[in-house]
Amino acid sequence: MLKTRSIGLNIAGVPLLNNISISCPKGTVTALMGPNGAGKTSLLRVISGEYKASQGTVDINGRGANDWARPEIAKFMAVLPQSSTLDFAFTAEEVVALSRTPHNTGLSRDLEIISSALSMVDASYLADRSFVKLSGGEKQRVHLARVLAQIWEHCENQSSDGGILLLDEPSASFDLAHQIMLIEIVQKISTAGVTVIMVMHDLNLAAKCADQLVFMNSGECTAMGTVPELLTSEMIRKVYSVNAEVGLHPVDGTPLIII
Amino acid sequence: MRLLRPKVCLLLLMALLPVTIVLGLMTGPLFISWADMWLILTGSGIANAQDTLVVEIIRLPRIILALLVGGILATCGALLQGLFRNPLADPALIGVSAGASVGASLVIVFGSLWFTNGVLLGLSAISMGAFLGALITSVIIFRLATGPRGTSVATMLLAGIAISALAGAATNTLGYLADNDMLRRMSLWQMGNLDGANWDRVGICGCAAILLAVLAPRESGALNAMLLGESEARHLGVNVEWLKRRLIIYSAIGVAISVAVAGVIAFVGLMIPHLIRLLVGPDHRHLIPLSAIAGAILLIAADTLARIVIAPAELPVGVVTAILGAPFFLWLLVLQRGRS
Repeated sequence: MLKTRSIGLNIAGVPLLNNISISCPKGTVTALMGPNGAGKTSLLRVISGEYKASQGTVDINGRGANDWARPEIAKFMAVLPQSSTLDFAFTAEEVVALSRTPHNTGLSRDLEIISSALSMVDASYLADRSFVKLSGGEKQRVHLARVLAQIWEHCENQSSDGGILLLDEPSASFDLAHQIMLIEIVQKISTAGVTVIMVMHDLNLAAKCADQLVFMNSGECTAMGTVPELLTSEMIRKVYSVNAEVGLHPVDGTPLIII
Repeated sequence: MRLLRPKVCLLLLMALLPVTIVLGLMTGPLFISWADMWLILTGSGIANAQDTLVVEIIRLPRIILALLVGGILATCGALLQGLFRNPLADPALIGVSAGASVGASLVIVFGSLWFTNGVLLGLSAISMGAFLGALITSVIIFRLATGPRGTSVATMLLAGIAISALAGAATNTLGYLADNDMLRRMSLWQMGNLDGANWDRVGICGCAAILLAVLAPRESGALNAMLLGESEARHLGVNVEWLKRRLIIYSAIGVAISVAVAGVIAFVGLMIPHLIRLLVGPDHRHLIPLSAIAGAILLIAADTLARIVIAPAELPVGVVTAILGAPFFLWLLVLQRGRS
């Protein structure tokens, strides 16, 4: 469960976010969309506590974000940044193992979780490889395994409060098969009660797995609603100034954007 | 890619350490044979009295000091490299060593005016000057780099470079004012030397070493998370601001004390953690203790060499670590370039 109430953000006098109120119930998938510089990543950073909102508040599992202690919040909320640099030659397995820092579950349980998380993102074969030598997509998959392992207890079973996963363009460096894998993972963990908020550029991918779309533009929330409500030619023209046709997927009936 | 398992590496280093210590005790202008050494170490009364004196009064404190300083420098190097997320960081980089030089040079040049018998706790006035210089520089750099949004590591590096330049200018100005004898002492001190070793210095250094040995390993998990990035570490529940402060304080104390007792010894803090990382990987749970032991071994060995290459005179140990360290480090860089 995650709520933002009229979030505003100014950094060095530049307004980045203005009056953003979104509500993400437990176990739902929210896709943040919009043109570059719309404020999607900034909003994600306010939610994750990296930026302090200039106005408004963030509620996480019923408590103000500031009332949570960092180590406590790290047990159920994980964040996958757009990109990160790691110049030290950890193996992929060791990178995933870092996710268990906030937990005290013991080595054998941690190893079990690490190996399950790696296999979930199709990266078991990378376990002993040096992280710095992996390709971009492989690195991102290992990081995905890392954030999944961080909130693994919530991904596996229904928990009372549910985990929270924030993903910033998780599919950007994935090939087609791994984009599908990502959707399946997101669907699977949200069914288990994890609240997922992700920044996405691929409308079709978002249409397949999001319960809720949030369109942003110049730091404001332009529209919020379900996929069928919002994925229309008018909306795409309004947000992106692009003419696109919206059809229906011949098999599963989800909206299909044709450009 | 990983050359050794951490346990194997630990065993090797633990085996190497006593060997280095005993070789160090045996070697010097007065060579003591294995047999005589054994007699002295086992404390049997039949050992040569002169040999025993040389070992107990001169060589033992010096070797223990080398052990402690080497361990402290390597540990501080590992902490700073983790903090800066840069395998090339070292105490000299953030200006602490340069600040210590200014402090020491000030005392060398003007000390005779202020102190008649400048000895406190076994530290000479010069050492006190170095300690204060190192500590003051650390505080200045930390203050410069800390803004309302936390401590910026990049600013700290740049501030360190600027402060080093400033401190270098100050030291040079002092050198201009100094007479020949002062100049010689300044340059000797800047090259690092363990010949002032005594039990008081060992005691002071020992306190710093124990402090680091207790506190530094506790930060291993947080340091590992820090390697991912500051915000990633924050998302893993690490209080990054406090971690940075603690690491800066630990390394400032460690470097300040080791510089105070032994002068500026280059390359140990840079090279040892780098080498250990190549052997066992970057995990700080192994890196910190293994670096400490390896640093101790390296400095004892370097000091032993320093005492014998131009015997009966001595080379400054900092010169030996630089002569050994710099080419070794370049070789590592070339090796890595070839691999990636």
